[in-house]
Formats: sequence, structure tokens, C-alpha cells
Amino acid sequence: MVPEEATGAFVPAWDRARYHLEGVGSLYVHVPFCRSKCAYCDFASGATRADDPLPAAYARAIARQLREVEETGLFEPCRTGYLGGGTPSLLGAALPPLVRAVAPHAPTELSFEANPDSLSPDLLERVREAGATRVSIGVQSTSASELVALGRIHGPERALEALREAVTSGLRVSCDLMCAIPRQTGASWERSLRNVLASGVSHVSVYPLAIEEGTAFWRRYGEEEPEFNASDVQADRMEAAEATLTRSGLRRYEVASYAVPGQECLHNVSYWTGTPYLGFGTSAASMLTREGYLALRGVAPQLPAPGDDVARARVTVMSTARQIVADPALGSLRLSVEFLDLRQAVAEDLMLSARLAAGIPGGLLGLAREAAPASQVDAVVSRACDEGLATLEGGRLVPTHSGWLMGNELYGELWGLAEGTIDTRTC
Amino acid sequence: MKTTDTSHIRNFSIIAHIDHGKSTISDRILELTHTVEERDLESQMLDSMDIERERGITIKSNAVRVTYTADDGQDYDFNLIDTPGHVDFTYEVSRSLAACEGAVLVVDATQGVEAQTVSNANLAMNADLDIVPAINKIDLPSAHPEEVKREIEEELAIPAEDSVLVSGKTGEGIHDLLEAIVYLVSPPSGDADAPLKALILDSYFDEYRGIIATVRVFDGQIRPGARLRMMALGDTFLCDGVGVKRPLETPVDVLGVGEVGYVVTGLKEPGLVKTGDTITEDERPCAEACPGYHEAKPMVFTGLFPIDNKQYENLRDALEKLHVNDPSLTWEPETSVALGFGFRVGFLGLLHMEVVKERLEREFSLDLIATSPSVNYHVYCTDGTMLQITSPQDLPDVTRIDHIEEPYLKAKVIVPPDFMGAVMQLVVDHRGETKDMVYLSERSVEMHFDIPLAELILDFFDQLKSRTKGYASLDYEFSDYRTSDLVRLDILLAGEEVDALSFIVHRDKAYDMARGLCDKLKEIIPQQLFEVPIQGAIGNKIISRSTVRARRKDVLAKCYGGDISRKRKLLEKQKEGKKRMKSIGRVEVPQEAFLAVLKVDDD
Repeated sequence: MVPEEATGAFVPAWDRARYHLEGVGSLYVHVPFCRSKCAYCDFASGATRADDPLPAAYARAIARQLREVEETGLFEPCRTGYLGGGTPSLLGAALPPLVRAVAPHAPTELSFEANPDSLSPDLLERVREAGATRVSIGVQSTSASELVALGRIHGPERALEALREAVTSGLRVSCDLMCAIPRQTGASWERSLRNVLASGVSHVSVYPLAIEEGTAFWRRYGEEEPEFNASDVQADRMEAAEATLTRSGLRRYEVASYAVPGQECLHNVSYWTGTPYLGFGTSAASMLTREGYLALRGVAPQLPAPGDDVARARVTVMSTARQIVADPALGSLRLSVEFLDLRQAVAEDLMLSARLAAGIPGGLLGLAREAAPASQVDAVVSRACDEGLATLEGGRLVPTHSGWLMGNELYGELWGLAEGTIDTRTC
Repeated sequence: MKTTDTSHIRNFSIIAHIDHGKSTISDRILELTHTVEERDLESQMLDSMDIERERGITIKSNAVRVTYTADDGQDYDFNLIDTPGHVDFTYEVSRSLAACEGAVLVVDATQGVEAQTVSNANLAMNADLDIVPAINKIDLPSAHPEEVKREIEEELAIPAEDSVLVSGKTGEGIHDLLEAIVYLVSPPSGDADAPLKALILDSYFDEYRGIIATVRVFDGQIRPGARLRMMALGDTFLCDGVGVKRPLETPVDVLGVGEVGYVVTGLKEPGLVKTGDTITEDERPCAEACPGYHEAKPMVFTGLFPIDNKQYENLRDALEKLHVNDPSLTWEPETSVALGFGFRVGFLGLLHMEVVKERLEREFSLDLIATSPSVNYHVYCTDGTMLQITSPQDLPDVTRIDHIEEPYLKAKVIVPPDFMGAVMQLVVDHRGETKDMVYLSERSVEMHFDIPLAELILDFFDQLKSRTKGYASLDYEFSDYRTSDLVRLDILLAGEEVDALSFIVHRDKAYDMARGLCDKLKEIIPQQLFEVPIQGAIGNKIISRSTVRARRKDVLAKCYGGDISRKRKLLEKQKEGKKRMKSIGRVEVPQEAFLAVLKVDDD
């Protein structure tokens, strides 16, 4: 359970005021560059040549956008930052200046994602000096043959070395591992888990491979469920991960996230707790209250006016990296906007909070009973308990073991409390 | 006897095997006679229902009047009576033909004579119609009109020297066809002073004017204001208007001898106007009704249940609304433990059933579950009584049953000789018995066999098509009731018997069916939070089993800021899928599970 008050993150109380905050609690920058595209990846990212000037120019363009938003005051309560990708470490010398531009708005936690092959002790040191506090390394597996199958460009030795270098650098270190992948066995999964634990990381995220449309895996396997990715295999691996990671003193605090207590990723927690955030760069999403959205409109006037019942807006950057470099002004971005009313916003928060070990706080359940008919909320809660997906503990609705594995059942029920369609616009 | 001048009237139907191009030719006739301007011409104008147009089939009869200026300079009134092309609607076809003096027999120049060409031609000949053969699709490279002419002569015994070569697609030959109709089809005759005698070909419902009957006047005349009577059903009504369709309703002062048009009855109760009934004057009825009337008897029965029980009333209203346009539909309330309240609905055949279900769902926004189709069984009990059973649930306890009889059909398949063996095997597999076969020509054989209707309504037709590469055509009629060793196969989901999944099957096939059905249901029923055993049972004896294993994991592990919209949409999609399922106990069962019996491969 994440003790909210002890994290230092900006996590406001669960009351109506949360839905009227003007500022954001966290800030995200998307870096859409990679050395090569992995077989499973459906993120906004593309293979980039080492001598391509685009990444450095992109980093400068994002820094300029950050300065533009500073004038709005939206960053006022901001406490955490995250540079994700893609491969932020691929920015090399352009990374520290970008980190420096984000750092003033991320006094509590500033993470960046890295790949073993583009990380070095030197880069780690310079990024730490620029203000980063945490690095998340995409290891995925420590089996050479599995890494080849995934289309990763690093080997297991380099991956583990990079983890040790990162631990030594003084940053908090997280690593990503992937299960239910080609060639993986129960034993090899166990080895991957133990290997990364042995390197001293304090945070591990585990994901079953999802074969997404548009990826090389999709073209190879299509919609058929390959044996290595069968839902039973996924369940076995997730259960094995829970056992091994828990034995080593990590605690599961979200569906896929394990940490030594106190080492949770506060930035990610803000996504699951209804805290507004701003996202920069291609495909990045922002979540704002009506008040925050109106403030952002001050610098991005192309954004459509919100209707009277809009309580929350989610804004996604549709411009490509090249377009952002060509014209970084926020007013020139192509954006897509989703407008949610209060009931939809609350339902979304219920759905996301249920991903956390801490579950849904009583305050949020109370708000839900105001935003949606109380009887419907109560019915969903009791159905979730009856089906063994969740239990009520001290006023919180907490997921059970089956609630972890069968999360979509639980989240679907909760999101079902929303009504109507979500108004989506592009501009 | 006073005669009116009917020499410029021609009443004819266009008859054809399905897909031979009947509706396209009708469209061309409407176009060429300027009944419908080209810009207004929707493809297949006469097929007014969406489903008719989409599937390219005709379900309802329709009569349109067109005026044709012939090469002799005279205007002729053509009443073009479009008829259904499917074997389910043979009775409707026969009534339409009874209203005509002639028939255009359309034969596809690439396919030649097929089973329903033969049946329709026989119906037309029995009705003593003048037949104008039209060989269609001559624009296609694979057309072989000379061979088709020979088939028409040899297989149908219809002189083919007057055959008209046409293309519904390009319009070629349509003018020749219209001229042929003028010269080959006899004008109607009748007594204008005699009491009214008009045959009902079809009817449809208008919310404001009630039931509107499409009629052919044989004797007398119909004027608005007359008090008229249905001869078979006995109801009387005040004629509220008459007219003809061009193709929009065009009121006229009178419908006289030989004319085809519509009568506004003002009757609102469904079932009062029946195809085949005779309309006459209430005060001065005609001596004899038009021959051939009988109630269209439903052959196939299925349970229709709303997925959401709150839609029960809506389903009943919808059935009533459809009934006024489709008097052959019958239904009675049925209750299922698994599915709640619904109706046991009777249809003329499987196509009729599919069409009605689709119309209910589409035109009335209902979400329905249809259960396995059944036939009308005669159950003879040990106490000497006989029960007519159309639902497996109504079958009495085995100890009370002396024997069961089931309806048999006389069926006819026309197929190239190469496929005779395949068809014979298929007939045997479906408990049928081949009676004889006749070579119609060197490239087609007509096979006759007896087969239980219950077998035919499962997958017989699909299998016939696939085993003969689509060459076979099928036609059938009711034969008689015969004793069979039938049992009820029950299906249990998670240990609970699901009444809506039960069906009646021959004992010899019960084991295979039970195994096939358990396997099919295992494919159809999605994994649940718990394991779901599926069992097939006869009485208390379990004869087959399969298991849907519990779903262990369903969660998208990654869900950060940029993933939330997508995640939400995924959950919504899952929810949409669930809405189309029925909860039986704790098990979510998709609609198609209830028709799984139609999809069990018998090999």
C-alpha cells in the first residue's frame, strides 16, 4: 500500500476539490527515438540513425514548450517528472539539458527510461547531476535467445552490467521484465527475475507480452494465441513473479509494479490516483481538470472550448517529432481532446485506482456515490466482492489475487458506472 | 353475361429459381415502361424490404401495374406480379400464379434448369398459364442459351422456340420480352355483372388505413364504400378505397374484371386478411370462392426470447406487427427456465425463420436468442392420447410415451450425375431414403427421396451445397408422419440443465450429436472466472462431456498516462460483447450457443 502522506508526491485528498485543481502534479516527456524497433513494440517510436540531428533538435523543442507552459502557472504544484520513450538514453549529450529543463518541476522524483546499450556510467552521472533521481532500464529478459526473439539489441551481460552501473550511480533503479514471450520457460523466467534482483534494483515492473496490432509480432502471429503467450502461461508467470519478488522484499503496489517499500514510482502512482498531469512530445497525453484545461488554452488557443458539463480533459499530442521540431509553439500543435463529465472522470479514477494494492480509497467511493447513483455504485462493489475480485478493508475496496489476474473484470464493472459517450475532438 | 373490354390487360408473374435474375428483369420492365424514371430506380424496385434487397431474394408478393405502348401502337396494362422464389413460400407462389394468365419463366443462361425452375414451371402449368420462357444473363461469357433452350424443352416439356433472350443487366431483349407478353399471354375474362369474386394475393399493414389487400378481380367489381366479406374467414368490412400500384399507390374509382390492384380494408386485427381467401360482396356473395385456399401451415418452430427480459412486451408487439404483413407467422408464449419468457414461433421454413428473426432485430431493435429449430412431433401416449409437440421441453416423460411420429418430406434434388453418390450419402446420413432418380438430360439427374423434416432443417441444405460444389438445387413438400425412435437430448452447463439447449434427436444419432454439441459449445462459450463443465444427457444418463476451462488472466498490465483512453475502449468493447450474452446461472452464454446444434459437423 502506498502511504499517500509519506510519499511526498502531490496527491491531493479525495474530495471534490481534486476535480477543480488548476495545476498538475506531474509532467511527462515522450522521446520517440530508438536504435531499432522491437518486435513487440507499438509505442510511438522509430528507428533513428546515430548521426540524425532530429533527436537533439527535438529535445530543444520540448524544452521550449516547457518554458511556454511555465507562464501559465500550471506547473505550480508539480512534483514528479518522467522521460519515457522510445529510448530517452539515446539522446546522449542532449539528455542532460532536457533533464535540467524538467528538473525544476520535479523536485520529488525525476525518472528517465534507458536501454542497456545506450547507457553508460558517464551518462548516468551527468543526468544525475542535471536532476534525475531515478532510472528505469528496459532489460526485458536475461536470456540471450529470448532477447534475440524480442528483437532487442542488447545481450544479457550488458543488461546486468547496466543495472549494476545504475545502482552504483546513486540513482534509484527500476527494471522492466517481460513474460510469456517466445522461447521463455518457467525456469528462464525465474532466472531473469533472480538475475535482476541480484543486481540490486529496488523496483521491478513485469509485463506479459501483449501482441498488438501493427507490430512485427502481430504480423507473425496475428490474432491466434501462440502457446508461449497463452493466458494460462501469462497467469503462471505473473504468479511466479509475485512469489519471487515478494520473497526478495519487494512489494506489489500495482498490477505490474513491485518495489522495495518507499521506492515506488510516484510519477506512475499519480496516473492511477486522478492527479492531473501534462505530457509533452509526440503521442504524449495530458490530463487536466476543466480549470487546468482553460489555463492551457491560454497558450494553445486551438483547443476547443469545453462544454458546460466538462470536468476533465485528456489532450494527446498528434504532431510528429518532425512537426514539433519545425514549429514547437504549443499553439501550432495538432491535438486530440477527450472531454469527460464528472461521472466519467470519477469512473475513470475508480477503474485506475483498482490497479493499486491500496485499492480504491473510501473518499473516492464516497465521491462515486455522489457522481453516480449510489445504488449502482454499491451494486458494483458488492458484485466485485461476491465474485472474489475485491474485498472491503477499512472502507477501501482492495483487489484480491483474482482481482489482479482478472483485473479487466473489475475495471470493466467500475468503468461501467460512467454514462454516455466521451466527446472526442481533434484540432 | 356482360363483358368488359379486357383485351388490353395482361396479368403475369415472373418465376425463376433463386438468383436467376427475376427481380432484375422486373426492374428493367419498370424502367422501359417509364413506370419508374431511371433516376428513381433503386436496384430491385419490387423488393421493398431492406432484407430482400440485401439478400437479393423476394419474400413478399408484390403487384405493380405498368402501361406498355406496344409496337402495334396500342397501350397495354401489364400487371406484373412478383413472387417469392424460395421453396418456403410455395403456397404464396401458387396464389400469385392463380391471379395470372401468364408467366415469364426466367432461366439463367449460365446455370440452366434447376430444381425450383422445375417446381415453378409445374406450378405454372398446373395453373394453366401461358408460359413465356426468358433466358437471362446472355451478356455473360459463360452463357449457353442454345443448351438451355434444349433443357427447357427436354426437362420441362415447354416449347422453347418462342424463348426470348434477355439480359436484366444490360436491358438487351427486354423490349422483345414485352412484345412476347402481349402476343403470348391471354387477356383475362370474367363477368362484370356477376357478384364480386376477388382473390387475395397478399396483404400489408398501414398504420393509418389498416390492412391493405392485394387482389385480382375475377368477376364483378370493387368500389369504395361497398360492404365486402372475406369468404373463408367470414369477416365483413367497408371498402375504404381501391387503387393500383405504379409502383406507388394510385387510387382509382373501380377495380373491374381482370384487374389487379389493392383494396383498403380498414381491418386492423392481424389475421383477418389471409392470402388465398376470396373477397366478395356481403349482400350478394358469389357462389364459389376461388379454389386453393388453405392456411399456410408452419413447418419449423423455434423459441424466440429477448436477451433482456424487459423486451418481452416489445417482442410480442413486434410479432403482431409482422403478422399483419406475414399471416403465415404463428406463435404462442413459451417459458424457459434458462431464458425466461418468450415465444414459440412457427415458420414456413428456415429461410423464413432467418428473415423474421433478422427483421425483428433490425426493424424493432430487439436482441433475441433463437433456440434450435424443431418440427411438429406427434407424441402418442400410453393412455391413448396424442400430443402435438413443437418444443423439446413439452415432451412428456418417457414412461408416458408409446411412440413418436415425425413429419417426413418428399424431397427432390437436381444435380449433375457426378454428384449423385455424394447426395445419396448425404441423404443416408440424414436418415433419408432415396426412392428413385430420373435423368433429365445427360448433365442433370433428378433424385427423389423421403427424409425427415427435422433432418432437413439442421444443416442439410448447407451440406448439400458444399458437397455438390453449389450445383445441387433442392425442392420439397410435406409427405406424411412416420414413427421414429426419438429421444430428447439435454445439455447441462455447470451441472444445471439448460432447457433451451435441449433438442429431439433420433436415438441412433444421439451419441454423435451429444459429443459434437459439447465440443461446439466448448468453442462458443467463452472462458469464465470458473470452470464450466458441459454435459450431454439422455434422461439421467450423461453421454458426453467437455469443459470450458476457467479464465485465469485478463488484465492489461501496462496502463500509464497515454494508455488510459485505449484501456477504457477495450473495457467498453468487452462490455458490448457481454451485452450480447445471456447469463444462465453464473455462466455467460453467447446467443449463437443456442443454435450450436446447426453447426455441429456430422463428420
